[in-house]
Amino acid sequence: MRRLIRSWRARVAVEGHSMEPTLRDGDWLLVDPHAYRHASPRAGDLVVAADPRQPGRLIVKRVERIEADGLLALAGDHPAHSEAAGLPAVAASALRGRPWFRYWPMRRFGRIARDRRGVE
Amino acid sequence: MISRVVAALRPRQTAHAHCDIPCGVYDPQQARIEAESCYKIIQKYHDSSDDVFRGRCLHVKEERAELAKHHIDVMWHDYFKPEHVEKFPDLHEVCWKAAKQASQVKRTVDLDEAQKLLDLIDKIDEMWRATGGPKATRMQQLQPVA
Repeated sequence: MRRLIRSWRARVAVEGHSMEPTLRDGDWLLVDPHAYRHASPRAGDLVVAADPRQPGRLIVKRVERIEADGLLALAGDHPAHSEAAGLPAVAASALRGRPWFRYWPMRRFGRIARDRRGVE
Repeated sequence: MISRVVAALRPRQTAHAHCDIPCGVYDPQQARIEAESCYKIIQKYHDSSDDVFRGRCLHVKEERAELAKHHIDVMWHDYFKPEHVEKFPDLHEVCWKAAKQASQVKRTVDLDEAQKLLDLIDKIDEMWRATGGPKATRMQQLQPVA
């Protein structure tokens, strides 16, 4: 219940298409801001993070891999929006939480898989 | 009524899932190449007694030094992040000095000043490498020479 309340407070609207088919433009998500308080991010995790290029802006991406220096390389799911070279790696402290539930639109209401790429 | 419910449900924050532009490709070599041009041009300037050629050298050096400064600024403003500054507390100092040195190279035909610019760019290069720059910002098939 507490998780639901804090996730509700940290809810976000998705804007953009780079996370399709997992997330679509206009999806509304519950984001658990404590997801990485006691656990480390894993490669494949869906995450909301502070944009490394623009302070105050949030991005939703997937952890593509964890670099040797501990930084996280993030990428989108959409094959045509590949960003391997596009987004600077971020520190784990840049993570703002893990989206785990889509509450809008109603027809796709439900839990979001943590780490199965492209599978809902 | 429905619109009011929707308004209450609507998130206040947006999480962007856009394709990433700017391109995210960063490499201090871009600045280094322009700074090497400045160095070589200064050498050619001193080797020549042709006033027209020497005039062109000064003109081209001016342009190249400006480009070096631009590429240093891109590294400073766009590539480096707060966590990199934590790792290298003198990061701002080095970038600032390098940009200043590019201006200094515009003003002079002293080869030592051009060398100082190269040395400062090499310090930026070290920090770029130590923060995972080559892997994070370059295409892997274009792995820069170590």
